[in-house]
Amino acid sequence: MISLAGRDILHGWGKFVLTGVGLGLLIGVTLSMAGVYRGMVDDAQALLDNSRADLWVVQKDTLGPYAEPSSLTGDSERPIQAMRGVAEAVGVTYLTMQIAHGDKDVRVMVVGAEMGEPGLPGQPTHLIAGRHIVRGHYEAVADVKTGFAIGDRVKVRRNFYTIVGQTSRMVSSGGDPMLFLSLKDAQAAQFQKDSDAILRQRARVAASPLLNPPGNPAVALAVNAAQSDNSNVNAVLVTITPNAEPDDVAAAIRRWQRLTVYTRAQMEEILVEKLIANSARQIAMFLVILSIVSAAIVAFIIYTMTIGKIREIAVLKLIGTRDRTISWMILQQALGLGLIGFVVGKIAASLWAPFFPKYVLLLPSDSILGFFAVMLICTLASVLAIQAALKVDPAEAIGG
Amino acid sequence: MAEGILIENVVKTYGSGDTAVHALRGVDMAVAKGEVVGLIGPSGSGKSTLLKCLGAVIEPTSGKMTIGDQCIYDNGWKVRDLRALRRDLIGFIFQAPYLIPFLDVTDNVALLPMLAGKPNAMARKEAHDLLDALDVGHRAAAMPSQLSGGEQQRVAIARALINRPPVILADEPTAPLDGQRALAVVGLLNDMARQFDTAIIIVTHDEKIIPTFKRLYNIRDGRTVEEIPGAPVPEIAA
Repeated sequence: MISLAGRDILHGWGKFVLTGVGLGLLIGVTLSMAGVYRGMVDDAQALLDNSRADLWVVQKDTLGPYAEPSSLTGDSERPIQAMRGVAEAVGVTYLTMQIAHGDKDVRVMVVGAEMGEPGLPGQPTHLIAGRHIVRGHYEAVADVKTGFAIGDRVKVRRNFYTIVGQTSRMVSSGGDPMLFLSLKDAQAAQFQKDSDAILRQRARVAASPLLNPPGNPAVALAVNAAQSDNSNVNAVLVTITPNAEPDDVAAAIRRWQRLTVYTRAQMEEILVEKLIANSARQIAMFLVILSIVSAAIVAFIIYTMTIGKIREIAVLKLIGTRDRTISWMILQQALGLGLIGFVVGKIAASLWAPFFPKYVLLLPSDSILGFFAVMLICTLASVLAIQAALKVDPAEAIGG
Repeated sequence: MAEGILIENVVKTYGSGDTAVHALRGVDMAVAKGEVVGLIGPSGSGKSTLLKCLGAVIEPTSGKMTIGDQCIYDNGWKVRDLRALRRDLIGFIFQAPYLIPFLDVTDNVALLPMLAGKPNAMARKEAHDLLDALDVGHRAAAMPSQLSGGEQQRVAIARALINRPPVILADEPTAPLDGQRALAVVGLLNDMARQFDTAIIIVTHDEKIIPTFKRLYNIRDGRTVEEIPGAPVPEIAA
């Protein structure tokens, strides 16, 4: 038996292909939306991977350092470092900010980490050009996505920093590229007040009899010094010794240091299920709407194509064509349209994904799932047209 | 002469009670194998209804219909699969050719045997032979839109004949054709009827072809009257 659907498609292939391309662009948008979500999850996981920590120690009762602000004193890592099962404990700071670069601003996450031996938690995992930070001040390593080149000088708050190295895929959970500074520089950038604020603060201290008791200027000096302290960190990243259990070490830190500690699994949950949950729901809504729109378009096209063939269908039924043959013809056309749409959509999504400002991750498993979803949508969309075809009275082929 | 079609007291009533429409009030017809008869009558007289009943497209209210030796209706369908009945026993020719626009000429004709389960190659071979016999074999690879009206109607005749049905029902097959072509089509149907022993009923308004029928049925008010051969052509209301 010949393929009636195939012949019909070949007969009007231009219209069919153009319709398929239109549908394909819509499917491309749908796949890209899924890719945006996957990219967000991947960014979150890259953030955790790149920190190379087993545990995140943060301010008590906060979801820091990525989902909520967290502040710890600069010496918090020392008692942690001494605990059983802890291999490394280093303080880090994270600050998302806009940095001027040429004519435009670049949104970056400024990361401050101890600049000791390369490989410490918090430091860039790898370099694709240049070198690590070796000086205590005014050097930076930038993710290549910032657009900063080696030798560029960028201003962070009050100071200029020279880019000495480039890294890649070092991004925040929001997809902002990272700019690594030494811990001291990053602390200054985050906590140091500007001159006017310091002057106002000193004036307030000087005017307060409590903070500046008459005859004892040392008190005011001490208060000013304490308020100008920049040694806070946002979190302490902890790696554990090979035989230690993360949960046990975390429990010990919680008990003895009275701080909040997250394991890798808990931190993933915070990032994926809390931080990007709203975005994920937003994307899911878009996916649902796009799926409905795609189904409506396929249904409309297939229905229109079927209605345009009512007389032929009546003739086919009159000369003895079975309902299942006619239904299969319509279903094949819907699936053919879906197939063309999927191929065009996959190609389109792959072509335009690199131009998205945020990371778009197109997973093969999502493509496979998308393919079956498209086929299912096309099958459902053809139901209306099949119903219309089955209602056609073969008597319509005979006049009178 | 053996009967190809026998219609006995067929009644078709649409609706019931006061709103009932009596389309056929007891039609009797007999067409022998290899015979072509004309069916004429004014609009609304029941020609198309009779064709639809005989074509197993609508069910009569009562009566009896026989094709060859097979009784297909006797106050109820005697055949379970009406599609198969239409496919295997009845060929249809319509006012317009109604060829499938996305199939070429060969496949338009070969579709029926393919639907009946015949291998594609064999069905196409039979279609080619029939198209040659109808003098359109040279257009076998063309699409319907590339054919003239006369060629399209010949292809439609080939499609009706391909399964060698004992009955062909033609609904005004010459309506879109000019006089010469109309007569040629009727001549062709006569030839085919003789060649394949097929009983053919041609519903027509076409005064050009009415004199060519050896037997003619006139249907008025839902009843058929057999016209006397050679009698003056009856007046036909449009």
